[in-house]
Amino acid sequence: MANNRRHFIIASVLIVISTVLVYWILDSVLLKPAAAVVEAGPIDEMFDQHIWLIAFLFALVAVFMCYALIVFRARGDEGDGEHIHGNGTLEIVWTVVPCFVVVYFAWYATTMLIDLTRPNPNEYVVVAEGRQWSWLFTYPESGAVTPELVLPVDTPVRVDLTSDDVLHNFWVPEFRVKQDTVPGKITNVRFTPNVIGEYVLRCAELCGTNHSGMLATVRVVSAEEFKLWQSEQLAQLQQ
Amino acid sequence: MSLFTLGLARGLFGQVLGMVVGMLLTCGVRILLGWEAWAAEPAWTVGSVCSIIGFLLAVGALDDWLQWTKGVATPIHHGPPVDKPAWTRYFSVDYNHKVIGVQYTVWGILLLMVGGTVAMIFRTELARSGLQFLGLDLYNSFIGMHGMIMIFAILLGVGGMANYLVPLMIGAEDMAFPRLNALGFWFNVPGSVLLLVSIFIGGWDAGWTAYPPLSARGPIGYQLFFLGVFAIGLSSIVGSLNLLVTLLRMRPAGMSLFRMPIFCWAVFATSLIQLTATQLIGTSFLMVSVQRALGMGFFDPRGILGEVSPMVGGGDPVLFQHLFWFYSHPAVYIFVLPGLGIVSELLPVFSRKPLFGYKWIALSSMAIAIVGFIVWGHHMFVSGYNDILRIPFMYATLLVAIPTGVKFFSWLGTMWGGKIHFDTPMLFVLGAISVFLIGGLTGPILATVPTDLPLHDSYFVVGHFHATMFGGFVFPFFAALYYWFPKVTGRMYNETLGKIHFYIMTPAFWVQTLGQMGVGVMGMRRRIADYDPTLGQGQIENWQLAVTIAGFAIAFGVMLMLWNFFQNAEVGVAAGDNPWRSRSPEWQIPSPIPEHSFPAPLHVVGEPYDYGLADSGYVTTASPGDD
Ligand code: HEM
Ligand SMILES: [Cu+2]
Ligand SMILES: [Cu+2]
Repeated sequence: MANNRRHFIIASVLIVISTVLVYWILDSVLLKPAAAVVEAGPIDEMFDQHIWLIAFLFALVAVFMCYALIVFRARGDEGDGEHIHGNGTLEIVWTVVPCFVVVYFAWYATTMLIDLTRPNPNEYVVVAEGRQWSWLFTYPESGAVTPELVLPVDTPVRVDLTSDDVLHNFWVPEFRVKQDTVPGKITNVRFTPNVIGEYVLRCAELCGTNHSGMLATVRVVSAEEFKLWQSEQLAQLQQ
Repeated sequence: MSLFTLGLARGLFGQVLGMVVGMLLTCGVRILLGWEAWAAEPAWTVGSVCSIIGFLLAVGALDDWLQWTKGVATPIHHGPPVDKPAWTRYFSVDYNHKVIGVQYTVWGILLLMVGGTVAMIFRTELARSGLQFLGLDLYNSFIGMHGMIMIFAILLGVGGMANYLVPLMIGAEDMAFPRLNALGFWFNVPGSVLLLVSIFIGGWDAGWTAYPPLSARGPIGYQLFFLGVFAIGLSSIVGSLNLLVTLLRMRPAGMSLFRMPIFCWAVFATSLIQLTATQLIGTSFLMVSVQRALGMGFFDPRGILGEVSPMVGGGDPVLFQHLFWFYSHPAVYIFVLPGLGIVSELLPVFSRKPLFGYKWIALSSMAIAIVGFIVWGHHMFVSGYNDILRIPFMYATLLVAIPTGVKFFSWLGTMWGGKIHFDTPMLFVLGAISVFLIGGLTGPILATVPTDLPLHDSYFVVGHFHATMFGGFVFPFFAALYYWFPKVTGRMYNETLGKIHFYIMTPAFWVQTLGQMGVGVMGMRRRIADYDPTLGQGQIENWQLAVTIAGFAIAFGVMLMLWNFFQNAEVGVAAGDNPWRSRSPEWQIPSPIPEHSFPAPLHVVGEPYDYGLADSGYVTTASPGDD
């Protein structure tokens, strides 16, 4: 048993080191696109917590496993190991402790989800329609219809989604959130763009031949530029 | 000896004949109704149904039952066929569970190779951005093809392990229903043939999940796909029923449920899922099939079918997803629970130590199986179903992590303090643990909705489930192949080649899965023929290339294994009866196992995993009274 204590101390140190190492590896492989909406903040924060948890649990199991493989390898003898059938206390501990972690994450995610989907009275509404294999955007207040999505910066947006044919999915990686478009239904997705720039909307639900090419340009522009753009659209409509 | 002495050849001929008969039948009915004689979709649909029946009749899987309807008794014939070479029994209907187990396994490996080849083709395409040699439609057909073939292969591999091992592990003479067992296997052959043929009549481009409305409008290949899956589903249902009855009714004296080898628990949990969930994928695919063939708009919201039929509209595409995932989520546990059972089964043997927390491991399989039924909605977080539903599905999904964790910790407990041997099967068990760990740990990040929003339908999910499938099925399956190869053939495989296979495949898989997850987080969607090379600050192509190279390395490793088996099955070094010093019943009898496995009924006299306890036994063929 004294021996076991020494093993556990060494393993614990290794676990701490490995956790940091695994986190570092994951952090450098899992390169998130730049964030361009307010919602990306909390989502990325939660993502990061998950990565820490993954790093820790990976280290926990991997270190104990590798440690056991080295320390308890058969050294050419044909004997057997210790005759232990289990340990009820340990089993209960590693059943109950994860329950708390699970409830923590579930609660954390629930509250965030409620925030992410909460309607905002000032939200700007655009209708997006997916069709094989392009997008069409309608601006209800002006009636303008365009093949590219133009949005004012720092304004909460709700995109109402629908489809003319099969399922599609509205996803701009920089905006994080995504939502299927379903024929015969209106679904929606909310976000608040906060970085001016040009992005690509990528259909993220397999929709047939040219699914991979079902893209659209999304431009997030300043409030003034948006006004200008709107009046241009109106002018075009009136012609 | 003519080719038709082989049941397989007869069956395939019967399948073609059935197809032709079915098509003629359709034309006949249409002529009677005064319609144009030929219509491709109904002809292929009816033809496919008839082709399955044609195969089963011709192969002889229904013979005995047909005889019974005429009042003729048909006693089971034991041993190889009398008037033909012994090897032909593997190509014909045979009722011995050991033969059926080998049939399942070999057919599974064949499909694994076909599915793997398809994957290597489109993986090569993805190594660089831009379209090199595959067209968009062919690419889309290939990804669905790869997915569904691999699922068939896994179900067959699971069936192979379960059929071969369960009766041996519980000392039963055979399965409870040997004829049903054979039928269960033979369903798979016409099913997979339909699936493979469908690519030649247009394929199907909606992936293995075949969501309508897309799948309701694509090429005719869908009908063959749906009916192929239906046949495999029937196999799952009858096979699992058989295993459940065998496990419940045929255990020997003294083998209480908690004294079964742990693999039997895994098979029990798996069979429960298979018996009760498979109907749902059958139903969902059948409904799309009927929607296509007869215009019944189950999943058709507003008359997309238009001119075809007046009965349109009023359906809901999201309903399909509920039905589909009600099977297909539990299905992922069908794929992995037996594999995890293999891990639990082999660890004590190679650690020379009792299985740590036997009951906890056994019950965690049951817990996973049961909780697995209420989590299907995690595949639909962005499908547009009621927002509130996401919350209970999120809680339930996260709950699955707990019994999964119990397994990992118990495995560590088993190794801790053991005397660990590193033969090839053990290496694959360790590989399985490391890989399944990656797969399992990437589950919760998909289960919490806010983090799933960016990850859903991205390549991250592809990385996640390849890790779970490889860790939960492929690695353990390979471990099982190496481990029981000496039992099945009586010969030893080449240990060096086995180790080389392991040391190539495992790191290659880590690179592959990490790469897949990486490109997913960078913003690459899944199921796309071409990707944006600027993603991930321009690094995406390097990772794609790495994943492709890793894929080829894995394929090379698998070929090494098959060559190793092929080389040694007949002429390898004699393995002896119990090379691993296992306590399990199947190792107490000669290798290869005689036609009647056990000379006398088994008696259980101890615990299955009492390694390290001197003079303890698990089973004996002598009755406790006479020693
Ligand atoms: C800790 C346990 C696990 C959790 C919490 C978990 C969670 C999830 C979630 C939430 C998804 C949906 C992702 C999405 O589409 O956005 C998913 C996908 C998937 N998971 Fe898991 N998973 C776990 C373990 C497993 C296991 C053991 C398997 C077994 C093979 C598995 C196989 C799959 C498959 C096949 C898919 C993708 C299906 C598809 O869309 O084609 N997962 N998982
Ligand atoms: Cu699409
Ligand atoms: Cu699932």
